[in-house]
Amino acid sequence: MIICENLSKSYPAGHGRKQILKNINLTIKPGERVALLGRNGAGKSTLIKQIGGVELPDRGRIIRTMTSSWPIGFNGGFQGSLTGYDNARFIARIYGVSYGEIREYVEDFTELGKSLGMPVKTYSSGMRARLAFALSLAIEFDCYLIDEVILVGDSKFQDRCREELFRKRADRALLIASHDMHIVLELCEKAIIIEDGLSYTYSSVQSAVDAYLEK
Amino acid sequence: MASMRQGWGIQVRVIHALIIRELITRFGRENIGFLWIMVEPLLFALLVGLLWRGMKGPLEFGLDIVAFVVTGYIPLVLFRSSIGRAVNAFTANGSFLYHRQIKILDLILVRFIVELIGHMMAYLFMALVLGALGFFPWPYDLGFLILGWFYYALFTLAVTLVIAPLSEMSEVLEKVIPVTVYMMIPFSGAFYLVSSLVPAAAEVVLYSPPVHAMEMMRYGVFGPSIDPQYDFSYPLAFSLPCLALGLLLCRKVRRRLVVE
Repeated sequence: MIICENLSKSYPAGHGRKQILKNINLTIKPGERVALLGRNGAGKSTLIKQIGGVELPDRGRIIRTMTSSWPIGFNGGFQGSLTGYDNARFIARIYGVSYGEIREYVEDFTELGKSLGMPVKTYSSGMRARLAFALSLAIEFDCYLIDEVILVGDSKFQDRCREELFRKRADRALLIASHDMHIVLELCEKAIIIEDGLSYTYSSVQSAVDAYLEK
Repeated sequence: MASMRQGWGIQVRVIHALIIRELITRFGRENIGFLWIMVEPLLFALLVGLLWRGMKGPLEFGLDIVAFVVTGYIPLVLFRSSIGRAVNAFTANGSFLYHRQIKILDLILVRFIVELIGHMMAYLFMALVLGALGFFPWPYDLGFLILGWFYYALFTLAVTLVIAPLSEMSEVLEKVIPVTVYMMIPFSGAFYLVSSLVPAAAEVVLYSPPVHAMEMMRYGVFGPSIDPQYDFSYPLAFSLPCLALGLLLCRKVRRRLVVE
């Protein structure tokens, strides 16, 4: 379970601070697929960073009784100056898994071929998304935190993502920030709308999407 | 006990991975690769040593002048580059914080360890080469040399731990640090023996912990003829509270760190 209690977070803005999250309460149960909806700048990424432990909230607490991935997105989680292979090696080392396995998985999943030997900063965003996904799926987590990056790229890669994430890992929890309502409706069983720093939980994804689109 | 062993295992893995990453990004895999870490301090020390020899002749305080300069300069460069690497270390390495097992302390520690290893290798290399040529004595007391290094490294690490979080908190500080590091030169003990100073000056410089460490190192290398002036407890009485303050500041700055 991952539980956020009365979470608040602000960032420095000029002389003051801008309150991004005011009072967030949410629960992710094991195996639950949760959609995170909100306008650009509403605080979806900020919330995911707090849950992933990348940043620390100003107030409130996060209780984690299951393992969660790092926030999977276009940035973060890997080093731009290192090659794809070096990144895989780095991830293998810090998570204590065998590099051979990760390497095989990454090569197979990303289909990036020789580009894996090039620095990640030379990658396109589609290539980054592939690498980010491959690296995080190569490590087994109870909950994957996915920031926007889901199902980008060509349809073949999208199918691959579905296969890996929703069939092979159907028992895992997911928190997905996305603007794609089709994906949200298809894959999630619960939704949370972030608006004005507050969280609204909907047990029906359809009603959440309706409420979100009305705004 | 089991969880402590587990924690230690993670710690070792993280430090290991970070060190390798640091070496690859800074020095690459081409030509001599990570051996570059000792080239800079080596060149610095050698050039300054030769400069002094040209200006002042072959001896300083009755010691070979190049050996004297090298023993002083390499630790000083360690201090200088460690501080330089500490400034903005967290922002530069922000993407590591995506992995929860990597703590900001690891980021500072790794940068410091890489500097320490590089400078110690340079010191050893220099001693061996100069020694083979007859310009560097066989250490009088190896234990003291190592103890001196320990004190010097501890002081450097303690200051690093304070500078790194402060540089994230204040932009003014971040800009001013490189200049103030130069002010450390007279207080590093690199270019004099305390016993050669007038008593009033000696009293002042002995307030600086690295001077004690430098005297220990020089005693370890050159022996009692330099009449070393040091205290075992004073440098600790400075460095340990400084270390504790650094840890507190790191904890404080972690809360407000914005990671891209």
